[in-house]
Amino acid sequence: MAADTVFGSSHVLDSSSSTSSHPLSPGAGVVPAIENVVSTVNLGCTLDLKAIALHAPNAEYNPKRLAAVMIRIKEPKTTALIFSSGKMVCTGAKSEQQSRLAARKHARIIQKLGFDVKFNGFKIQNIVAAYDFTFPINLIRLANSHFKFSVYEPELFPGLIYRMKQSKIMVQVFSSGKIAIAGAQKRDEILKAFENIYPILMSFRADK
Amino acid sequence: MADSFCPDCKRPTEVVFDHSAGDTVCSECGLVLEAHSIDETSEWRTFANESGDNDPVRVGGPSNPLLADGGLSTVISKPNGSSGDLLNSSLGRWQNRGANPDRSLIQAFKTIATMSDRLGLVATIKDRANEIYKKVEDQKPLRGRNQDAILAACLYIACRQEDKPRTVKEICSVANGATKKEIGRAKEYIVKQLEVEMGQSMEMGTIHAGDFLRRFCSHLGMSHQAVKAAQEAVQKSEELDIRRSPISIAAAVIYIITQLSDDKKLLKDISLATGVAEGTIRNSYKDLHPHASKLVPSWYAKVEDLKNLCSP
Repeated sequence: MAADTVFGSSHVLDSSSSTSSHPLSPGAGVVPAIENVVSTVNLGCTLDLKAIALHAPNAEYNPKRLAAVMIRIKEPKTTALIFSSGKMVCTGAKSEQQSRLAARKHARIIQKLGFDVKFNGFKIQNIVAAYDFTFPINLIRLANSHFKFSVYEPELFPGLIYRMKQSKIMVQVFSSGKIAIAGAQKRDEILKAFENIYPILMSFRADK
Repeated sequence: MADSFCPDCKRPTEVVFDHSAGDTVCSECGLVLEAHSIDETSEWRTFANESGDNDPVRVGGPSNPLLADGGLSTVISKPNGSSGDLLNSSLGRWQNRGANPDRSLIQAFKTIATMSDRLGLVATIKDRANEIYKKVEDQKPLRGRNQDAILAACLYIACRQEDKPRTVKEICSVANGATKKEIGRAKEYIVKQLEVEMGQSMEMGTIHAGDFLRRFCSHLGMSHQAVKAAQEAVQKSEELDIRRSPISIAAAVIYIITQLSDDKKLLKDISLATGVAEGTIRNSYKDLHPHASKLVPSWYAKVEDLKNLCSP
């Protein structure tokens, strides 16, 4: 999307000037790819979930399991959980703008069924990004030296969970070199976390 | 012989203590100051060589500092045999109806004790688990979770803190009704709580294959030579880049070592002793096989024997 590339290129200008002084910092344009954006919005009116489940296309409603209707749309490929209070959670979008567009599309579906919907308080709750370093990482040494921030339980989960001390961002580091950054509410939180974790992971490379 | 104030003489006089009658008598005027004093020395004589089962000096079990009153309460047990006597059974019922603030704690401690007995753990681990449980008990988010999972997680953490880790699968085997996932989640929660309360003193290191190796080997009944060879092999494997859980690596190393010796263990037996699935041991063996010459110590098996090792 045009909006994304504009943002991406502006980041290129910033990184080459400020962070390239550090030998282990990410080079120009090296940026994690956003995989998932979760957002919530309040439709502003109570909804009849049974009516929605019966009339809306691609709707799932299992009241014994979850008190919400699940609606999936094809473009952007997203899933929305709609609660009877009128609140809605939209997941699966690949960017913030797509998430907003998808939430609007879901709201339109509900509107077509005859409810008086509004679009109040749209907020991005979580952005998940992934990146592949392509070099293997020694998780045990990383866990031992950064024990204050890392949780590594190979029995329970193969990835090391690194929680940044400044923010509430969580990074899952795998020994293959792939990472997942989650918990951000804004894109620059992800980029800042990525810039912080990049030199740390470079220093724990497992290959020669 | 002591100096005390005598009311008749109106001045401090020498006072004599008469042990036979228990009287404190003023030596000047003969006034009895205190009568029937209680002798607090021991009622019986204890000799060094006789102890038997009743040591009259000690009354009751060891005091438990974790319980509210040090565990002083008296319990009325049901009489075995005919309980036709109304007084006995009523007393038991009345006693149990009273709200004991420690009841849930005592129940939890009993469960932890049962689990640690099943695993054959020492009392230090059991006591540490009790301490951990006491620290995290009665917090609101805890109530929703499976009680068995919490207790199992306390035991797991206690084992880790004492540097004698047990795999989650082993803890699972003695904890009734708690799945590996539940124990894992409870463990994360408890560690977070303890860090908040005790401030950063919770530093359990990562688990290593070597911690479990000795125990797995003795479950399988391997010879002393084989155990030493396995320990050396596991030490060397830590330098290699093998992306597998340490337990799976330990199981695969045991498989390699036993295949090289005369006493070959079946995959099934190793799987039973370690808790690792047979398929996982096979896959870990595939990862370790190329490095077999580096891992197996030279005094244990020669290079030709390694060639005999069946390729996966």
